[in-house]
Amino acid sequence: MVPNQSVFKDESKLDINYIPQKLPHREKEQRLLSEFFSFILRCPERMAQRVILTGDVGTGKTALAQHFGANITSEANKRRIKFRYVHVNCREFRGSLQTILHRAVMAFRPNYPARGYGAEEVLAALMQVLDEEEATMILALDEFDSLIEKEGSDAVYKLTRLQEMRQGKPQRLSFIFIMRNLDATAQLDESARSTLQRSIISLTRYGKPQLIDILSDRVALAFELGAVSEDVVDLVAELAYSETGNARFGIELLWRAGKYADAENAGVVEPECVRLAISSIVPSLRRSELASLGLHERLFLLAVARYFKENEEVYAALTEIEKTYAVLCEEYGETANSHTQLWNYAQYLTKLGVLRTEVASAETRGRTTRVSLPTIPAVELERQLSDSLTQNGRRD
Amino acid sequence: MELEEVFSSKPRMKILKLIYQLGQLNVSDVARRIKMNYTATSEHLKILTSEGILEERVYGRVHMYRLSETPKAKAVVALIEAWEKP
Repeated sequence: MVPNQSVFKDESKLDINYIPQKLPHREKEQRLLSEFFSFILRCPERMAQRVILTGDVGTGKTALAQHFGANITSEANKRRIKFRYVHVNCREFRGSLQTILHRAVMAFRPNYPARGYGAEEVLAALMQVLDEEEATMILALDEFDSLIEKEGSDAVYKLTRLQEMRQGKPQRLSFIFIMRNLDATAQLDESARSTLQRSIISLTRYGKPQLIDILSDRVALAFELGAVSEDVVDLVAELAYSETGNARFGIELLWRAGKYADAENAGVVEPECVRLAISSIVPSLRRSELASLGLHERLFLLAVARYFKENEEVYAALTEIEKTYAVLCEEYGETANSHTQLWNYAQYLTKLGVLRTEVASAETRGRTTRVSLPTIPAVELERQLSDSLTQNGRRD
Repeated sequence: MELEEVFSSKPRMKILKLIYQLGQLNVSDVARRIKMNYTATSEHLKILTSEGILEERVYGRVHMYRLSETPKAKAVVALIEAWEKP
């Protein structure tokens, strides 16, 4: 271990605003988006497009749109086409159409007054500016749901029917509407909804193998070589997968785990750092849950905590935990329960969300139950359980 | 308007420097930044526009001013640059 050596090579690569050069497992959607807007490079001003991008939290909607925006801008620059990609998070502007459009105008007129003018005036100004500059724009409206909530059908109608008010003029403004799902559009009246829903790209949740690829890419960019093992990436991917396949959650978890590793001057990100990190994001074991556990359930859980505290591993075979449990029973003057009973405890604690269990094929014969402690730091759990066993006596 | 009249006004010089620095501004923004009332600011902007130094763009109710592309405007830019830059 080298003192004061950070595990990070470049932690900005884990920042929420960082747009990676490649987006693993979103190649098809990238191609589709490029195809929808290919006219901008071929025949700008001849047509405009509206595309809806939907998907759960952390499925890469924002990253996909911004990645596409950067690519098309660079391609347009090469071809000397006057084009701007403007990405606005509607929630940041409390869903106000006027403020959102003001952001778009600012791309060309940074000193355009922010207040005192209605959305329609700002929209007209935007179109005038685009005409003056002879430019086209893709306006990506992220968290579009909040604009629908705040402004309703009128606002959507203004945006989608814009070109009809400009008959015979060049078509300069296209849209990407980004939202989790189409539920919010149910509030819109029929005509506004029909103008909105034309081209829809739905991003499906990432599976665990996909999350492993995404996280591995980020690890290579952000961490020093060898600072994050494959097992740790696997653990983070597992956690992100359980959080509805949320890649952003996984990336944030990596960053936090790295911070814990640096704070401990560990030199590498250990599974315990991930447990500490996740306990700072999601609630760990509640005291009430702990109090509801019987003596042997607590002893079993203490065995799990002690095992992971002493072994820098992500998974442990139930039989390994059983050995630690036997030692603990001796320590506390209790008769150890059977393997089947321990298996029951593991299942119950999994249901509570404290442990995670999975069945793995053993190398030699049969199947073995593997236990992991994904969300609670082993040190913290051991302390809590030891306290509770001392305070409450050894009652069942 | 004679040259000395255009450049003898402190507010007009302030406006020119401001627009040179910030690009395009509307009347209220100029007035606020040079700490002058709206009407007087608007008058100065009109004079500079009529002299061909500034040009006005109207976006609905928003009137924005920027340096024009005329030789006079270019001379003003050269003057400011010569004066302000070390």
